[in-house]
Amino acid sequence: MNWVIVIWSMVAATCLTLAGVHGFVWIRQRQALANLMFCLTATSTAGMAACELWMMSSETTDSYGRALQWFNFTLWMMTISVVGFVHFYQGSGRDWLALLVCFLRTIAVILNFSLHPNVYYSSIDSLRHITFLRQTVTVADGTPNPLMLIGQLSLLLLAVYLVDATFRSYHRGHKKRALSVGTSIVFFVLALSLQTMLVFWDIVDAPIVSSLFFLGIVVAMGIELSNDMVRAAQLAIDLQTREYELSRERELTDAIFQSAPGMLYLHSQDGRIVRWNAQHEKITGYQSDETQELYVKDLFRKEDIPKLEQAWQLAFETGAHEVELDLIPKNGQPIRYFFTAVRVEINKNAHLVGIGIDISGQHALAIEASKQREEVAHLARIASMSELSSSLAHELNQPLSIILSNAQAAQRLMASESPDIHEVREILDDIVSADIRAADVIKRLRSILRRGEPILEPVAPSDLFSNALTLVKADLEGGNILVTRRHSVRLPLIHADRIPVEQVLVNLIKNAIDAMSENAPRERQLSLTCMPDGSSLRFSIRDNGCGFPNGIEKIFEAFHTTKVNGLGLGLTICQNIIQAHGGRLWAEANKTHGATFHFNLPCQSFIS
Amino acid sequence: MKHNHPVFLVDDEPALLKALTRLLKTEGYQPKTFTSALDFLKLPRSNEPACLILDVSMPEMTGLELQQHLLAEDSALAIIFISGNSDIPMSVRAIKAGAVDFLTKPVKDSELLEAISSGLKKAVELRDARNERQELRNRISVLTPRELEVYLLVVTGLPNKVIANQLGIGEQTIKVHRSRAMIKMGAQSLAELVLIAERLGLVGSKK
Repeated sequence: MNWVIVIWSMVAATCLTLAGVHGFVWIRQRQALANLMFCLTATSTAGMAACELWMMSSETTDSYGRALQWFNFTLWMMTISVVGFVHFYQGSGRDWLALLVCFLRTIAVILNFSLHPNVYYSSIDSLRHITFLRQTVTVADGTPNPLMLIGQLSLLLLAVYLVDATFRSYHRGHKKRALSVGTSIVFFVLALSLQTMLVFWDIVDAPIVSSLFFLGIVVAMGIELSNDMVRAAQLAIDLQTREYELSRERELTDAIFQSAPGMLYLHSQDGRIVRWNAQHEKITGYQSDETQELYVKDLFRKEDIPKLEQAWQLAFETGAHEVELDLIPKNGQPIRYFFTAVRVEINKNAHLVGIGIDISGQHALAIEASKQREEVAHLARIASMSELSSSLAHELNQPLSIILSNAQAAQRLMASESPDIHEVREILDDIVSADIRAADVIKRLRSILRRGEPILEPVAPSDLFSNALTLVKADLEGGNILVTRRHSVRLPLIHADRIPVEQVLVNLIKNAIDAMSENAPRERQLSLTCMPDGSSLRFSIRDNGCGFPNGIEKIFEAFHTTKVNGLGLGLTICQNIIQAHGGRLWAEANKTHGATFHFNLPCQSFIS
Repeated sequence: MKHNHPVFLVDDEPALLKALTRLLKTEGYQPKTFTSALDFLKLPRSNEPACLILDVSMPEMTGLELQQHLLAEDSALAIIFISGNSDIPMSVRAIKAGAVDFLTKPVKDSELLEAISSGLKKAVELRDARNERQELRNRISVLTPRELEVYLLVVTGLPNKVIANQLGIGEQTIKVHRSRAMIKMGAQSLAELVLIAERLGLVGSKK
């Protein structure tokens, strides 16, 4: 059996098969350039095997020379494709080295075809037959051409390039791949270079068997590529599983989204509704395609938008916020809603996710409750007034009765013929003491009404604001007032009689609300501030209402009022309360619109 | 003095009692004063017509409570209320329970004196009515059971025949019982007999 033909044919067949497979891969996937390069490497290896067979069976020097010429061509193709493979597959080689290798190899192939017989020999003098693998094969004797050093230099540089690429790839973490592909290629390139040099420089008497070495390279590359294919297949399976899981996850979140009892929404920072649930559509009356076009503010009254924007901003700033607003659905019938918003990052953009709950029931109840509270307070006031007046009547009636009866008895005595002067004197004494008693009653009553010294206790300023705002909640909502509170968190405690001071705040806030009743609903702004002012705290209540139409001078006088139903006692009482605390209450007109009332109360630390 | 009937003053305010006493003395009354309702209740009852001037609001027992106590006794006492803070329901209650008048403090002398004199007049009437009732009760107590039975049926307006049937005795016997009852009751006619029965509350007045 001719082993040479068998082996070389097998090499060629193997390489062509691999080339075919990877060529097909490249045709299907044009970006898989590594596969293309591998295809070229394998093809040129097959060509090289053919050329070698050709050489080994040549009978003339001419034929041998041509075979060697084509051998060199396959080597060129091989070198270029190996460099390409490393470049595309590992991507770690130095580009200039790659270009240099290709450049030298290209020069070699050009010289090869322009010189006769080829780049390896200046002349092929004779052919010899030697025994190789128990077969007689042809080898040539001739003068080696020194120019072939260019090609061999290129081979050496290729080895350097490969070592370098392997080394760098190894350091980049692709250890296994670098070692398996790189080292095998380097090994075979070095072995091949050595063998060819030994043959051409007539040091060893053997035919050229480069294709065998290249087969090694091809096999190493092929194994690595097929590993890649296995990995790709595994990845594809993983991807499918993950996609399935993702779709399950998505179905789950969708189900949660849709099954939520209230509105669910995701708002983008530009005020669009990004995602929403079925309830959202049902409640607002806007269908899916309409909701896509909506801005969040389209769901609210114009006058509520400042409140919405304030809540919105707070949610983005603090991460979460809640607000109560009237939702205006498509049919225009407002419904009271409680909205939550939590900031979430989606694709690095801030969004707000939240729910809306219908609280129209609770809201109506709350308004009703607050109305009832006020009524009860009013009734209690009336009751205490009537109680006071009835006990006053009783207390005064007694002495008045005594006086009247005594006086009338005296009149009758005096009308008689001989009046008992002694008796009359006693009567007059009794009248005087009854009169003194009546005066005492009045004095006592006055002291009750005036209310003595305030009962001071430590109070947090923010609590005063909170309590006062709770008491006027219904008025604020009814009046569509936008309230802003500004005070530092770490304010000192003040020394105050809580309830009357809260009453002062309530009075001043109610005054502010009344003053803004003529404003457009969007322009009713109440601002409450509290800040340190020397050794006391200054509370300021600022509105943008009508200010002081009758001038600021008389506002603190009793019975001065600008209100149709007012008594004109509110501010006087407020001033008395603040003065009883050692503070001061004053007012100023704002530069633009409205009024600001200030009062200061001494801090606790100052007092104690 | 010209007024023999006693006048009582009950008020928790001694100075007022003193003043009212002075006032009443100018009219010849000799009022007895009490500073509490309980003190007044301790006084032994007499059948004499009298007038009670009673303050409404007092500690321990109010004037209205005292009135309820006195109602239980069949006394000839005319009550005049005086009150510092009267309201309409309170005065209606007092008048319905038989008070003569309801005056508001401070009380004018003329109003008070008028109320007292009319109160005493009413007390006398009460006393007379009570005495008469007593007298009639005495008379009725001497009727035999059968005479009383017949009497009670007669004053309802039933003819003798029907009464005889009802009681299962002869009409003649009924006539005898009837004439005896008339004699014992001191009545001259059937009409008088009916009137007495009415006074004693034996027959309801026709609706």
